[in-house]
Amino acid sequence: MRQAETTSVGLGMPNIPLALVPGHVGTQSEEELRRNILEVTVDRVIQNLTSAMAAKGNRSEPSARQIVFKGGFKAVNHFFYENEYSDGLPIFPPTLEDVEAFLKYTDRAPEEMLGTLLPDNRAATIWSIAVNGVMAGCRPEYMPILVALIEAMCDPQYGVEHSGNTPGGDTLIILNGPIIKQLGFNYTQGALRDGFMPNTSIGRFWRLYLRNVAGFLPHKTDKATFGNTWRVVFAENEDVLQKIGWAPNSVEMGFSAGDNTVTVARYTGGGSLSSVSGSTPEQMLPYLADTVQKYHMWQLTFTVSHGNGALRPLVVISPIIAETIAKAGWSKSDVKRFLFEHARLPAWEFERQLRDWNIRGVWDLEEDVRAGLIPKVFHVSDNPNRLVPIVWDPEHFMIAVGGDPFRNNAYVFAHNGFLGFPVGKKITLPKIWDQFIRDSQSES
Amino acid sequence: MSTTSNDGYYEAFWPRAPRQMQQRKIAPRVSSLDGKTVAQLWDFLFRGDKIFELLEEGLKARYPGIRFVSWREFGSTHGGEERAALALLPERFKALGVDAVISGMAC
Repeated sequence: MRQAETTSVGLGMPNIPLALVPGHVGTQSEEELRRNILEVTVDRVIQNLTSAMAAKGNRSEPSARQIVFKGGFKAVNHFFYENEYSDGLPIFPPTLEDVEAFLKYTDRAPEEMLGTLLPDNRAATIWSIAVNGVMAGCRPEYMPILVALIEAMCDPQYGVEHSGNTPGGDTLIILNGPIIKQLGFNYTQGALRDGFMPNTSIGRFWRLYLRNVAGFLPHKTDKATFGNTWRVVFAENEDVLQKIGWAPNSVEMGFSAGDNTVTVARYTGGGSLSSVSGSTPEQMLPYLADTVQKYHMWQLTFTVSHGNGALRPLVVISPIIAETIAKAGWSKSDVKRFLFEHARLPAWEFERQLRDWNIRGVWDLEEDVRAGLIPKVFHVSDNPNRLVPIVWDPEHFMIAVGGDPFRNNAYVFAHNGFLGFPVGKKITLPKIWDQFIRDSQSES
Repeated sequence: MSTTSNDGYYEAFWPRAPRQMQQRKIAPRVSSLDGKTVAQLWDFLFRGDKIFELLEEGLKARYPGIRFVSWREFGSTHGGEERAALALLPERFKALGVDAVISGMAC
């Protein structure tokens, strides 16, 4: 109820009437559900449809550039925490001097709006990007990346409005281009570990922006059952990609090689698989395919009808695995084809996962194929043991390369479908960038 | 709270941004549900199919003349076809003579 109440404010309907079903519908017997609906919900529905709703006003708020607190470091942090502006860690106070330092690294006007973000329906402005960038502990020169990230957050295809859904997925940011080295991102061992300022602080910035501008607050609009801390930025190892002749993720997202880009997508789970051994793709890839399939369980809901084939599993492989596969003449597309053909499960198991264990009692693969909602590969026969893929097309798998160059490990990210669909944006550098690079080089 | 002199002094900006929406009026309520047409919108989640069945039963018991337009008429209001389904609603409601709408399920 609290989520519906807070979300309705952002939608401009703060007094939209709500009817409650007591308890959680997913754990009630038929009899309990029947009693709850007939004895409680029906009355509320009638009241909602027949009685006038009292008007509710919006609470007044500060203006865009209002100073909301003056004081010492600890007092600022106390104020920001009490007002739900911070994540619980200390923030850098966003002062005029620091915000202006960030604004120097974009040629766009501070008041420019990149879009509006649900659920709060707030303006995503260059100014607010700088403010939250300061708070997150970013350096001013990260600003071009922050702007590209918020462009991605505003892209309707990404689906930011779903960022508070109950599985509690978290966004992974993939970075490509020369900017990785220019700004000192970690792209080797510990590539997903905190401890590297650009990787860590930009990951934190994303979450702070979701909190402060999109408006996702735990216990209100963020309904993550568990959730995680933010993910640090994953920078691809483009040295290795170049060496083996594979395109970086940026090219697969539609950009040119050498472009600086960000790609964002939300993932609800996954994990690492260790010691992918073998000296050929045929020896290595069955283990990978098996793990990709096993890490995608309820997420198969994004493969079928209402998910519209939006599942995009991401497999991050370490350089040594990529080099071994490429040595045999295999391209990224060959790897994706292998995954498409081998990351499969019996049809009965696919259907059990969704129809019996998940939430959709009125569904099966055959019906979806017959209705033209999913490709025919999902129902080539009536044999319940036939193997079906987890995505519609081999190219729906995403592959990135990074991590420890000397370990044969991989990481599978279980994707959250249309609730965080992969979106890429090019990073636009400011006019002062070349000078900044020259200055950094002379300093080092 | 520290009051030590090395705590600095900061003037901190508001980290949020202005809301962009206009407050919208809720549609007028109906005086009674008797003889009215009620549309069901479902996001295909949280046992909505069963819940709409029960709501129909409970509402028909109170208002025998009530008529329902099933969620099957509109498709899922959540997911791949969400935007298209929502965009069509005003036209569909008009064509189907809908007086009131029940939308579910959140959880």
